[in-house]
Amino acid sequence: MRIFKNSVLAAGAAAAALILSACGGPSGSASGKQQIEMWFWGAPPAHQKEMQNVLVNGFNSSQDKYELKVTFDNAVDKNVEVALAANRGPDVVYGSGPAFAAAYVAKGKLADMTPYADKYGWKDRILDPMYESGTVDGKLYSLPNSLNNIGVFYNKAVLDKLGVAVPTSTAELNGVMDKAQSQGLYASVTGNKGWKPVNQNYASLFLTHVAGGKTVYDALQGKTSWTDPKIAAAIDASKDFYGKGYLAGKDYFNLNFVESMQLLSQGKAPFMFGPSLAFQFATDSFNEKNGNAGDLGFIPFPNVNSSLASPNYTLGSTASLSINNASKNKDGAAMVIDYMMTEKFSVDMTKTWPGYWAVPLKKLDANPSDFTGLSKPYVQAMKDMISGVNEGHYGFFAGTFFPPATATAFDDIDSVWLGKTSTGDFLKKVDATFAEEKAKGLVPPVPEPK
Amino acid sequence: MTLSLKTPSRNALDARQGVRSRKTFHRRRTIINYLLLAPALLLSIVVVVVPGILTAVASFTDWDGLGFSANFVGTDNFTDIFNDPTFYTALGNNIKWVLLFLTIPVALGLLTASLLLRRKKTRTLYQVIYLMPYVLAPVVNAMVWLSIIYNPHGGVVGYLRDRGMSIEPPLANLDMSIYAVAGVDMWHYWGFLTVIYLGAMRQTPVEQVEAAMVEGANAFQIFRHVYLPNIRATLLLMGVMIVIFSFLAFDYVYLLTQGGPAHSSEVMGTYAYAFAFSSFQFGKAAAVGLIMSFFGLVASFVYTWLSRRDLSK
Repeated sequence: MRIFKNSVLAAGAAAAALILSACGGPSGSASGKQQIEMWFWGAPPAHQKEMQNVLVNGFNSSQDKYELKVTFDNAVDKNVEVALAANRGPDVVYGSGPAFAAAYVAKGKLADMTPYADKYGWKDRILDPMYESGTVDGKLYSLPNSLNNIGVFYNKAVLDKLGVAVPTSTAELNGVMDKAQSQGLYASVTGNKGWKPVNQNYASLFLTHVAGGKTVYDALQGKTSWTDPKIAAAIDASKDFYGKGYLAGKDYFNLNFVESMQLLSQGKAPFMFGPSLAFQFATDSFNEKNGNAGDLGFIPFPNVNSSLASPNYTLGSTASLSINNASKNKDGAAMVIDYMMTEKFSVDMTKTWPGYWAVPLKKLDANPSDFTGLSKPYVQAMKDMISGVNEGHYGFFAGTFFPPATATAFDDIDSVWLGKTSTGDFLKKVDATFAEEKAKGLVPPVPEPK
Repeated sequence: MTLSLKTPSRNALDARQGVRSRKTFHRRRTIINYLLLAPALLLSIVVVVVPGILTAVASFTDWDGLGFSANFVGTDNFTDIFNDPTFYTALGNNIKWVLLFLTIPVALGLLTASLLLRRKKTRTLYQVIYLMPYVLAPVVNAMVWLSIIYNPHGGVVGYLRDRGMSIEPPLANLDMSIYAVAGVDMWHYWGFLTVIYLGAMRQTPVEQVEAAMVEGANAFQIFRHVYLPNIRATLLLMGVMIVIFSFLAFDYVYLLTQGGPAHSSEVMGTYAYAFAFSSFQFGKAAAVGLIMSFFGLVASFVYTWLSRRDLSK
């Protein structure tokens, strides 16, 4: 193959990014401070306000050299992608995780944050697997903003009504779901309406709890094929699970997380399987005003494969934070990231926005009883997860740790569930896609589970 | 031998000067014409030709959309696409889309336009009402259908279910999803066609209609033998536009199903989008884009050929 510098493509990418980068504005601000820009997803207005108060106002008043400006954008991933391609865009790069960052590192779009890690002592305070996941060839390029685990949300009131306890094993979990179905309820509620990559949650969930984190780790290292029988068993188990109606019955494609939380609060199902970040979608349904905030609970998904260590977690992050290599204020961007990598920031954000700001610290001193509403179970869930990750009991969330095309290939797991393709063919495609990406060096460094 | 020096007559001189000044005038006018055309031409080159060439070049590379370098991979992208069953699902859905749009909204539009011809006082109001879905943003229309019609809790589907009907939401059904999405797009589009057809029908000479009525033609015969031949050019043009738009279909599919479940409502637009913005495979996305353009190009050639054939008659 011939490698050529394609100046024509460059011109096109630059032109495409021009409009977006125009939104960037000058790096100086009216107050004389240097402006640091960050693009963030289009969060709901209440959450935007909280971010403005805690992050923007908090950071800006903590020092007098930089002024942070956060722009909320529903198409942030796509717009960041286009802007970075043209060497423009925000100073603090908000991305989907280490895999996202690795693709940019390969093109020199992100700055090496190792000097800042040394300066601020990030390695000492961030969970080792999460810190390592942001490195490429030993250099740090991204840090996760929050831990995420795919587990089981449950409604205590519904479990009481069914006369069952919170399940601790797969057999108990399935038993409760069978009982719920027999009483005309959903076994669980969840769905991918409006966001097909939700499928990755369930692919990752079964990979963790059937194949185990070590098998997936070996596959990501290229030591094991993605067609490995243990991985095939995980996909088959997910198909069986879907076939029994355990994933919202026939409505998986008609529900999203917000609607699922509504149905869970209305007592239409005992469970909702999903990422811990879905706490943020539950605040409208489970709250003090409705008098049901105490009904929502969250537990890790029980292992299907009993030989795996328990409790087991599907480790992921909600997003990643990096520094734009084209930024003129890298020091300021690093200062913003450092401001976000603290327990104080995590606690302040979580008080009103549970689900998105479990900073991956090695030690989280926060006491759940100091929180109210859904923040209380969320903090407890994250403390449990930190403990589990420190012990090495985890698997991997595809959207965080798998290279982009491989993660996208797992979106097609619904083709297996619906009988459009076989497990074997599905995994062959995953394997071929992964081989291409591995050859291009796009696999992020993943931490080895115990 | 005599030498006669003939001086050109004044008329001849005037004629020559006239020719020269006419040439100068034409040349000047041509330059002005080109100057006037230049902005539009430049714009077309920048926003159509250059991206078109870039897309064609990118389709033979593994460009990931992030950097300015790429590897030349020959026809690998096309080979991969042609070996992918999802591509054929998408292509098949685009063809279904063409057939649906060339029949249902066209038939509805023609029927409604014919009925509105007789509603001289109220047809403006009807046109405004029919155009409303067309002028609303696709995301609004999609939300309306997702929430009010297809929603299994609170929508029409939910209402029917609550009354004991065992109905599966069509967007979640492998066999129905593409039709459910196309239905929403046709709902938003047919009113636009009605307005276009009505406008064309109103250009039909009144004498022809009156003559047909005097001859005793009924409503259908007048439509078939008077209006239809008169709006043939409009029908042809809209038909070609429908074919082109059908191969570019994206917005409603993306908003309603994102091509799911299990790719059952995938069209080439969403297929290309997933390559570009989920997998960082812009080269493959460009290859799909080229294939999409090919079908639009074929439709354009057919239109041009038919137009020329009509002119030569």
